[in-house]
Amino acid sequence: MTDPLLRLSNITKSFGAVRALKGVSLELLPGEVHALVGENGAGKSTLIKIITGAHQPDGGTIQIDGEAVTHLKPASAHAFGIATIYQQPALFPDLSVIENIAIALEKPSGTRLVRWDDRHARAVELLRRVGAEIEPETEVRRLSMPQQQLVEIARALGAGARILLMDEPTASLTGQEVDLLFALMRGLRANGVAIIYISHRLQEIFQIADRVTVLRDGETVGTRLIGSSQPKEAAIPGKTIAPPESDTFTHAELIHLMVGREVSALFPPAENKPGPQAFSVRDLGCRAAGIQGVSFNIRAGEILGLAGLVGAGRTELARVLFGITPADSGSIELGGKRLEVSSPRDAVAAGLAYLPEDRRRHGVILEMSIAANITMAILARLFPQNWMRFGTERALAQNYIRDLGIKTMSPETRVGALSGGNQQKVALARWLATAPKMLILDEPTQGVDVGAKAEIHKLIRQLAAQGMAVLMISSELPEILGMSDRIAVMRAGKITAIFDGAGADARTVMAAALGKQSNETSGFN
Amino acid sequence: MALGALLLVLALLAPGFFRGGQLLSICSTVIPVLLVACGISLVIISRQIDISVGSQFAFCSILAGLLIQAHWPMPLAALAAIGAGACCGAFNGALIAGLGLPSIVVTLATMVTWREGLRWWRQGEFVHDLPETFQWFGLGQAGGQTAVLFITALVFTIMVLGTKYLSAGRFVYAVGSDAEAARLAGIRPHVVTFGVFVIMGALTGLAALLNAVRFNDVDPRTGTGLELQSIAAAVVGGVAISGGRGSLWGVLAGVLLLACIAPALVFLRLPPQWEKALQGGIILLAVTADGWRTVRASRSSLS
Amino acid sequence: MKHKEFFRFETMLVCVLGLEILIFNKTGTNFGTQGNMFEVLRLSTEIGLLALVMTPVIITGGIDLSVGSMLGLCAVVMGKLWRDAGMPPMLAAGCTLVLGAAGGGLNALLITRLNLPPLIVTLGSFSLFRGLAEALTRGVDNFTNFPKSYLFLGQGYLFGVVPAQLPIFAAVSVAIWLLVHRTTYGRSFRAIGFSPEGARYAGIPVRKRLALAYILSGFVSALAALVYVARVGQAKADAGTGYELLAITAVVLGGASIFGGTGSVHSTLLGVLALAVLKIGLTLSDQPGELAGILTGALLLAVLTVEAVARKVSARPLRHSSAVKGI
Repeated sequence: MTDPLLRLSNITKSFGAVRALKGVSLELLPGEVHALVGENGAGKSTLIKIITGAHQPDGGTIQIDGEAVTHLKPASAHAFGIATIYQQPALFPDLSVIENIAIALEKPSGTRLVRWDDRHARAVELLRRVGAEIEPETEVRRLSMPQQQLVEIARALGAGARILLMDEPTASLTGQEVDLLFALMRGLRANGVAIIYISHRLQEIFQIADRVTVLRDGETVGTRLIGSSQPKEAAIPGKTIAPPESDTFTHAELIHLMVGREVSALFPPAENKPGPQAFSVRDLGCRAAGIQGVSFNIRAGEILGLAGLVGAGRTELARVLFGITPADSGSIELGGKRLEVSSPRDAVAAGLAYLPEDRRRHGVILEMSIAANITMAILARLFPQNWMRFGTERALAQNYIRDLGIKTMSPETRVGALSGGNQQKVALARWLATAPKMLILDEPTQGVDVGAKAEIHKLIRQLAAQGMAVLMISSELPEILGMSDRIAVMRAGKITAIFDGAGADARTVMAAALGKQSNETSGFN
Repeated sequence: MALGALLLVLALLAPGFFRGGQLLSICSTVIPVLLVACGISLVIISRQIDISVGSQFAFCSILAGLLIQAHWPMPLAALAAIGAGACCGAFNGALIAGLGLPSIVVTLATMVTWREGLRWWRQGEFVHDLPETFQWFGLGQAGGQTAVLFITALVFTIMVLGTKYLSAGRFVYAVGSDAEAARLAGIRPHVVTFGVFVIMGALTGLAALLNAVRFNDVDPRTGTGLELQSIAAAVVGGVAISGGRGSLWGVLAGVLLLACIAPALVFLRLPPQWEKALQGGIILLAVTADGWRTVRASRSSLS
Repeated sequence: MKHKEFFRFETMLVCVLGLEILIFNKTGTNFGTQGNMFEVLRLSTEIGLLALVMTPVIITGGIDLSVGSMLGLCAVVMGKLWRDAGMPPMLAAGCTLVLGAAGGGLNALLITRLNLPPLIVTLGSFSLFRGLAEALTRGVDNFTNFPKSYLFLGQGYLFGVVPAQLPIFAAVSVAIWLLVHRTTYGRSFRAIGFSPEGARYAGIPVRKRLALAYILSGFVSALAALVYVARVGQAKADAGTGYELLAITAVVLGGASIFGGTGSVHSTLLGVLALAVLKIGLTLSDQPGELAGILTGALLLAVLTVEAVARKVSARPLRHSSAVKGI
């Protein structure tokens, strides 16, 4: 019986009065992919920090290779072969790939002479091992996100990692890139590397994980095996489809474990009756954004889901519509009027709203208060003489705090102090305050825990019921399928298909996203 | 590239510019700026800034002069000057790296403090009556210029090699590119930042000495505008204000370019008062050209 | 949370100011007199104007190193227009103000259209403007003999007591305070300072707002030049040398972060006052002028150090609680 590579027993950790971890036990065997799931606030980050030695547990034991370890520090964790791949790569953007790999692997002694030949050779070798086709001299800032991730994994491998912690690694990968990553992970697994895989994407967990541990409120509530012990079908790029029926039961069970209650209303049923055509786009093109010939309509009260792989151009399309990268050709019409949108300001004035994908950088301003964030898009409208009236602002904010269920003590709280789900609600409040005629949502529930997800979905349905036209971009297929009245699919900057809600399922949508022939009749409206 | 253009213009309009002695004398005025510009490039690459170099320069110059006047042997006085510069740099570094204070504000404060302190101390008085061994190290003009050139070339070479082949040099780039990532990799950004300011100070001290030996007295107003010149040279030479990138060869080109303005004006028979204006214009042009290139590049790629 | 930080800075400044007043009352001749108080205000008008207009610039996360040089250039242009072009002072003043705005516009253009860092752009214009001033005067020219009616602006007294430039200073103070703290423009400045991209995505016209800040900076620098020339009675190319640094010092003393987002006009005014009282107090106490510079630098460092240490001491518990929330 192999010793577990890592065993955590009854780990507790408190920060002041807050008990972040109340008793977590986790076992990691060599050569396994062990998923770690839990809502935001369940304790995942704290647990990771304890495994990497950034925090010390208050109670409980850590065993590595069967030996008890006390006072694990980042340096010793590193020595034990524990490496972490974060969502935001911790790379040096201005330095070359060679140097990024080298700095991580070399001892940080200042007086050493640099051997560029050795560095080059080692980088080439590691890049080959992870299957990355990257010129080693390239500056990291010029690499795409998945390429940067591969560099990080190459680094970890070079450092002799035996335990790899991956935190939401697929957040910005296309389906094909996810497949490549999973293939790489399976290869690592075959070599005895253990991987702790943290993700909100439950269908991926069913694809790649051997076991899953669920955290809830700082405790482990269960560790289960995933799937059968039969070897999985070798990943063929492009064949990433929704999990087979037999897993949907375990899927719900998993959510139940995470949340502790039934979340049946994750996708509230559609009650809205779409009205007349409200928003239409004809032949839209923008060279800088890589969009061409895009045409579609949305009716008042209708939710058009926009599916496609990452890199298909959906966020770029949203940015064109909202005026961040204005279009060079084609037309946009809202409420029958033609729009000239050359800046976000024009877009807002015309009645468009955009909830961006990058919440922390574009969706809200973390250092400013909830009230300031909520009124930010309507400053000119709310205060036409440009004179601020703080009472009015606060009252408006209070209304949205109440209506959207934002958990906060006061409207003056810094948005940075809120949880992800509440931050998203503030961002949404900002756009609702503009009373838009058309709302573009870009990954509205990304990084949001299951409970808040359901609330946000309910809000979106309500907005549609009130007559708003909604364009919802999402990379989560269940969300697209569950929320949309119609689904448009993008690939390589163009719209390749538009499906009616009823006529679409995971397979047809994925096929359209990948550009394969589909049996369904697809057409442009 | 711009340097080439300027030289071409000069060659066409005033061939007398390229006479040997003239070039050598340009070089000797350029030396101090080059050393300081190299130091400040390191600072900028590590994502900081230092606007107190002018005051440091003046202080080290006066100190060197006074020590020689007190009959200290030249090598000892030189070391003292370099050491004094290093101490000034250490002071800056301690506040910036140790307390995390923004470098522009700290060096603003130290610039004013040291400059005023020096003015109070010297009351504008030059350091006179220096022994003959002071000017040009007692070697006479040609000999002295060669010595200065040699020392500078040596230091410059060491710096170029250091930033490429010494891991401490690479750490400067790493910290400037992403200090947090550097910390995670085991580098200590505070130590690197502190070290960079100390090196800056030492280089300033050396530059002060090499400049002071050109004359037989020391002017306490020396070093005025040095921070502007060296930052300008660095920026024109391709060092990015955002940190993490820049090459010392580019800095050399920048220094030469800016140094050629004044004599070029003389040769082109333009009034010398235009020097500052031209300097400012060139900085703006260089940065504009770089900015234009970036804007065009981002427009053609997916945002 | 924001209020707490300001509170700390403002109280520190008020303490410093109080300390200065106490000390100089003892050591200085005629320090505590009404006449002296007004002199303090008179002499701090020019730097005060620059510091006032530097505040919104720093709040947007930028900086304007060219204000001192702009003052010099405008002073020289004023002199030239009046003496060599024979314009009446009012007209010359008007043209000078336009020039100031135009110079600010140049900064604004490079910063907003080409996304160049304000530090470098204004470093370039710092050199360019001063250079133009020197070129226009060939380094030696000095414009004097301005008409008495104009000199009244800088040297005269209203009601026999109040320096004539004070109403201007007060008016500009109030205007900029309102701009930063009570208008949507001020709110935009803060948003841009904290997150330029975030502000853009929220529909704030970032370019226009930044342009406003820098053009205003140039305009008020020109105004300061007019006051300066009226006060000293002459216009030389070296007018305003070093003023930009004092202006920045005043703003930072007042608690603004050089990175943007924080800062207030009233705190800047306190900073200006602290610096002015320091300088005049030392003069009246027969101390050398250089001591003012030394103490200014030391004061700036001391204030920042205290704030940094205080932040470090109180930050430890804060970090833990945010670590829990951010999961």
